[in-house]
Amino acid sequence: MDALALEAALPKRAAPPPVILPPVPVKRPKPAKKAKKAVVFFEVEILDAKTKDKLCFLDKVRPPPRVLTSCRLCLSTDPQWYPARQSIRLDPKGKSLKDEDVLQQLPVGTTATFYFRDLGAQISWVTVFLTEYTGPLIIYLLFYFRVPFIYAPKYDFTTSKHWVVHLACMCHSFHYVKRLLETLFVHRFSHGTMPLRNIFKNCTYYWGFAAWMAYYINHPLYTPPMYGEQQVTIALMIFLFCQIGNFSIHIALRNLRPPGSKTRKIPYPTKNPFTWVFLLVSCPNYTYELGSWLGFTMMTQCLPVAFFTFVGFVQMTVWAKGKHRSYLKEFRDYPTLRSPILPFIL
Amino acid sequence: MAAHAATGAKTATNDVSHKRRKGPGALATVYLVIYNVVMTAGWLVIAVGLVRSYLAKGSYHGLYYSIEKPLKFFQTGAVLEVGIVPSSVVLTGFQVMSRVFLTWAVTHSVREVQNEDSVLLFVVAWTITEIIRYSFYTFSLLNHLPYLIKWARYTLFIVLYPMGVTGELLTIYSALPYVQKTGLYSITLPNKYNFSFDYHTFLILTMISYIPLFPQLYFHMMRQRKKVLGHLEEHSKNE
Repeated sequence: MDALALEAALPKRAAPPPVILPPVPVKRPKPAKKAKKAVVFFEVEILDAKTKDKLCFLDKVRPPPRVLTSCRLCLSTDPQWYPARQSIRLDPKGKSLKDEDVLQQLPVGTTATFYFRDLGAQISWVTVFLTEYTGPLIIYLLFYFRVPFIYAPKYDFTTSKHWVVHLACMCHSFHYVKRLLETLFVHRFSHGTMPLRNIFKNCTYYWGFAAWMAYYINHPLYTPPMYGEQQVTIALMIFLFCQIGNFSIHIALRNLRPPGSKTRKIPYPTKNPFTWVFLLVSCPNYTYELGSWLGFTMMTQCLPVAFFTFVGFVQMTVWAKGKHRSYLKEFRDYPTLRSPILPFIL
Repeated sequence: MAAHAATGAKTATNDVSHKRRKGPGALATVYLVIYNVVMTAGWLVIAVGLVRSYLAKGSYHGLYYSIEKPLKFFQTGAVLEVGIVPSSVVLTGFQVMSRVFLTWAVTHSVREVQNEDSVLLFVVAWTITEIIRYSFYTFSLLNHLPYLIKWARYTLFIVLYPMGVTGELLTIYSALPYVQKTGLYSITLPNKYNFSFDYHTFLILTMISYIPLFPQLYFHMMRQRKKVLGHLEEHSKNE
């Protein structure tokens, strides 16, 4: 049976909309489903996950095809559905298939049915990170230099008389510069994009909190920490320690993954002592981040900073627990001593 | 009419107490029935209190004092129902929170507004709404929902909701000068926590937040109304 006959023999389905298929080289018109040693051709139909409308139909997909690439090409005939917003899955409510999946490894027969879900407008992670981190950097400095219309006019362009305020500005700025540089040079993202609305949500969070904290720390009526120099020095030590720790973890995680790949491995302690905390914790980058902000809270003794630390801690705990769970699911030999974010506690 | 109620109840998705798929167990049902009966009774007490007080005084000024205690008790008690009643947790939680805020953080805290007519406006709106709502839940749990209650729940809000919101906004507005004068619930700089809070500004922001929030809640109820009552109109047309 050749392909045309196959199509004719298929059960009564609604005629698929006309689709420009990628040219599939037909070498041997061997029959499908007959002789065991013959080359088996796959057919792929793509349905909308919600309406079950037939969106695409690919016949003669030769194994081992990069099936998703073919699907994405087919769906991209509608220009607003660029690949980043296509979610293709075996089950309408299931997980997205990854590009590395091969048709043969998937649990289907020779006719595969995939479901397409539109993820909505997408934006790259790098863009989001750069935007959400540049904001706090600049906003804090606006308050530090006391630009007009924030405080009473007599304070415009003055500087605080407390040295801890200068230190806090340096620490805060350092933190966000570090984040920007890490985004550009260190992090290796597994997903290229996230939904567009996230940028508004995330920027509101980061920029809003930065403004709120900066307003009080740089206020003319700011009250320095209760225990003075001692408190600030210890806080600074904690802050720097955790910044180095956080950076070390980012480097260690980066080194787990060769450039351009999306491999997933269990992170282990390296020669760097700051990574030894991997023995006890799945996501030490979050642990160190919490530590940094606790240090900054202690340094500034400012309630809004404490709020920001707390909210960040809650969010990072949610992420850490999710990551921990997926580690456990993916790796049978995952170390049992580890907790998601706080050793032995959480 | 019972058949109508049954089919009508099935078509309503969010607001039916007896979820056919995984309904509450027997013990939970008993608890819920008791809770809803008690709440219905409580708000009836408030309603009766208002009427009696009005008849005794001959005017509708200062009726707040006659029902102050049961109002506080039963409105605060509604906190127990967040996450338990069939409506969404977010909506219920938000609704209860705003009611409790108005009861305690505005009306109770700022004595001077307690004589305002706006207080009566929202108290009456809340009272009627809650009596209907809790009896709706009660009858639904017992699988004997009179159409009248269902109709009332999904129709009277059209008037009661704006009425309540107007009363609430006017009350907050009248509280503003007193809050500013006394610095109620406010913290100023300098202090050792480097934090400040201006309740006056907070109240203004709260009033502004009604603008995006109220229409959403209102149209949600409108949609629910179409869903719940719309089908019944079809049935009666077919007959």
